Amino acid sequence: MIKTENICERIFALAKGVQTEAFIEHSSGALTRFADNEISQNVYNDISSVSIRFVDAGKTSKVTLNQFDLPAIERAVKSGLETLKWQKKDKNLLPLAGPKQLASSRNVFSKETAELPPLYRAGKINALIKACKKTRQIAFGTLENGLTSYTLANSRGVFARHRESYISYSVTVRDRDGFGWAETPASNSDDIDFEAVNRTARLKAAMSRNPRDIKPGLYPVILEPAAAADLLSYLCVFGFGGQFYNEGSSFVSGNLGKTLLSPRLSIEDNALDGPAPGMPFDFEGQPRSRVLLVEKGTVKAVVHDRKTAAAAKTVSTGHSLPQPNGFTPFPLNISVRTGESSIEEMIKTSQKAVLITQLHYTNLLRPPDVEMTGMTRNGTFLVENGKISKPLKNLRFTQSMVKAFREVEAVGRKAELCQVWGKLSCPAFKLKAFNFSSATKF
Amino acid sequence: MFDLAKKAVEIANKRKAEFADIRIIEERRQSLSVKNGEIASLNDLVTLGFGVRVLYRGSWGFASSNLLNSRSIELCTLKAFEIALAGTIINGRPARMAPEPAWQDFWQTPFIKDPFAVSVEDKLALLFKTNAILRKNKKIKSAVCDLNLIREHQWHMTTDGSKIEQVLLSCGAGSSASAISEGEVQIRSYPSTHGGQTLSGGYELIETLDLAGNAERIREEALALLTAPQCPSGKKDLIIGGNQLALQIHESVGHATELDRVLGYEESFAGSSFATTEKLGKFRYGSPLVNLVADATLPGGLATAGYDDDAVKAQRWHIVKNGVLTGYMTNREFAHAIGARRSCGSCRADGFSNIPITRICNLSLMPGDIPYEELIASTKDGILMENNKSWSIDQKRLNFQFGCELGWLVKNGKKTTLVKNPTYQGITPEFWNSCDAISDENSWRLYGVANCGKGQPGQTAMMCHGNSPARFRKVKIGVKDN
Repeated sequence: MIKTENICERIFALAKGVQTEAFIEHSSGALTRFADNEISQNVYNDISSVSIRFVDAGKTSKVTLNQFDLPAIERAVKSGLETLKWQKKDKNLLPLAGPKQLASSRNVFSKETAELPPLYRAGKINALIKACKKTRQIAFGTLENGLTSYTLANSRGVFARHRESYISYSVTVRDRDGFGWAETPASNSDDIDFEAVNRTARLKAAMSRNPRDIKPGLYPVILEPAAAADLLSYLCVFGFGGQFYNEGSSFVSGNLGKTLLSPRLSIEDNALDGPAPGMPFDFEGQPRSRVLLVEKGTVKAVVHDRKTAAAAKTVSTGHSLPQPNGFTPFPLNISVRTGESSIEEMIKTSQKAVLITQLHYTNLLRPPDVEMTGMTRNGTFLVENGKISKPLKNLRFTQSMVKAFREVEAVGRKAELCQVWGKLSCPAFKLKAFNFSSATKF
Repeated sequence: MFDLAKKAVEIANKRKAEFADIRIIEERRQSLSVKNGEIASLNDLVTLGFGVRVLYRGSWGFASSNLLNSRSIELCTLKAFEIALAGTIINGRPARMAPEPAWQDFWQTPFIKDPFAVSVEDKLALLFKTNAILRKNKKIKSAVCDLNLIREHQWHMTTDGSKIEQVLLSCGAGSSASAISEGEVQIRSYPSTHGGQTLSGGYELIETLDLAGNAERIREEALALLTAPQCPSGKKDLIIGGNQLALQIHESVGHATELDRVLGYEESFAGSSFATTEKLGKFRYGSPLVNLVADATLPGGLATAGYDDDAVKAQRWHIVKNGVLTGYMTNREFAHAIGARRSCGSCRADGFSNIPITRICNLSLMPGDIPYEELIASTKDGILMENNKSWSIDQKRLNFQFGCELGWLVKNGKKTTLVKNPTYQGITPEFWNSCDAISDENSWRLYGVANCGKGQPGQTAMMCHGNSPARFRKVKIGVKDN
């Protein structure tokens, strides 16, 4: 185990008075992948690295290495300091941040979960494969677990540490020409209901057999949590990132306080004690704030690092990515407020709608209204007269998310944790209109 | 390094692994980026580590670490055995490796100018100069110039006798200008989108790009797009080349013919493929004009090396010949699934910490026989699209949609009106079968893809797709059918 305090002290001493930041990352993780009812890949990694950033009177440089012996660190510091010499001063470059009081976040570390052995993973997967073989279904997926830990310190006195364990179980099941999927990420293996994941994926696959064609066009949609989370993550990044806001490419630019989305939609970023918790500080060592992004459809705030905050004449919300970088700070621990419906009720109250389990290969087309495209995947169904009437071949959508989430008809009462750009806790949604631009062959 | 590496091989042989290998990798990456006149990245990354792969009782295990010494290699090798053994509780088909001669060799990317010998001062000067030109208009809200240099030194040793040392070098650069006005956002990039153009070789590649010399043009094109008309929708003849055609090849042929995907081993994440093995040698993938060749020996190619990460010697082979599917990207594990006695050598890993997986090789569309000018001149009602902006394709690689930075309407053989936000959609074999003209070798160039993601845990790989502009008949432009 690396003694991070010692390494940081050594680095700061070598930097001889130049403002210096050290970011030490350690990850230890294992992933068992299965396909065609057998284990296909089985890997383990144990890796550490340190990034050292120097800031000196309007000049900056960074070196990253994964060797921690003194000569390697000396070489890296020397190289980083040397690089400072070749720059012109940037009057806008911020000095490193000083220390601030950090709030504690929810415990997201379980040693047992981080260290679950390969036999544990193989056993869980074996149970699924045995069940699938009995019904001529084929299982694919991953079961992974491990830990990541971060130490961020700087020569101005910032010292912050965070570690979290993770486990994620993802199952895709093929049943002849039908596909089903379910996935649960957690920080503790006790929170994974393996049976439920297996059951959902297998049932969906069976229900998806013999999918039918449907004419592309505008339909009401019922988005299961994973599908809704995929879309809302883009809305949050491209809408509520401080840099995009400042540049004017976000739909929120100049519109704070306006009701641009459905009154049924409320979104908060909360790394501290929300349902998608994480690191209580950002990559500048600043405390993560709870930021209410959308309150009943009204856009309330965007997230900032120190640089975008200075440009917007406000303060950092603690959302910096590793500095320096050219991307926007964005919400990483998003919680979408639950509603009062359920997927079953959404189906029951729909005359006609498309029910979507998961989306695939989503991508941004136009930033100003977050127009996106992507495909449906692993369980697309037509709902008619309050019931699922038939499985559908997958569809491509081309749709503005600002418009789509302006007309929310129902929100699920239960949220699920999803892994997208960061963590996002999201319920199901029913949207009034969603544009499918073409269909595929399966 | 081979003295250290042999520890893993000795343990694997002693424990009677069917196959094992160790890859020790030292990597240096320098990334420089200037955004809006300020440094957005100036990072010099140096990493060292190893990964051990073991095939034991038909089951795979892999472990890696950045702690490089004999004890750490021993522990990782034993960990890989433990993982492989755990996998045997499931009665799957035992994995086996296609045979390959034992190679003992040294190979390195040819280059003229060592990119790490060029001063940071000179590199920053190029980026700042270009960036300043891009920003000479207040409507340009984001101007980004990037430079990325990578050297990977590998020592690869296998239980079947291969001992290969390789030094791979690649350089890339690019710039982009985003114009924003009244809710409209338009971007132009040079020479390609998504970080620019990357090829294998030395710093001489950067010097040929002339970033600064092209900055004024792309700035003005980004501004012109703000007020350009929306690209019309409907069926039109489509002319694409450059990095857009490269990405079309990448997404709809490259990934579709990775044999692990075809066999379902990527189903849970990236998906599978419509190009299933019973179609080999029979399926009409494209029109007879379409020849797509995979080539790990291609000069400048990002997937060009002496050997892949299965220790298979670099090869060149057809994926599509005269329009017919004739090959796949293979590794040693899956080659037997198509009756091949040897892998084509398309198995690579991202750094030391990832297991080698089947990857797209350099995959190029062979040139046709008409000059580019004639291709335009013979188009009555078409649209020419340049520089990819967005991409999406379904999980069997059939239904795709691409967006480009700009389009030009082509009327009666002439480029006429600049249009914004052009997109097109299609179904892979229908699209490639609609190809009725490919420009000749005079307009054939290599385009790098430096950020191809695949696998779980996620891995990034690089490859190139050579092409000359080609025409596709009656393609669905936009999202409406009118």
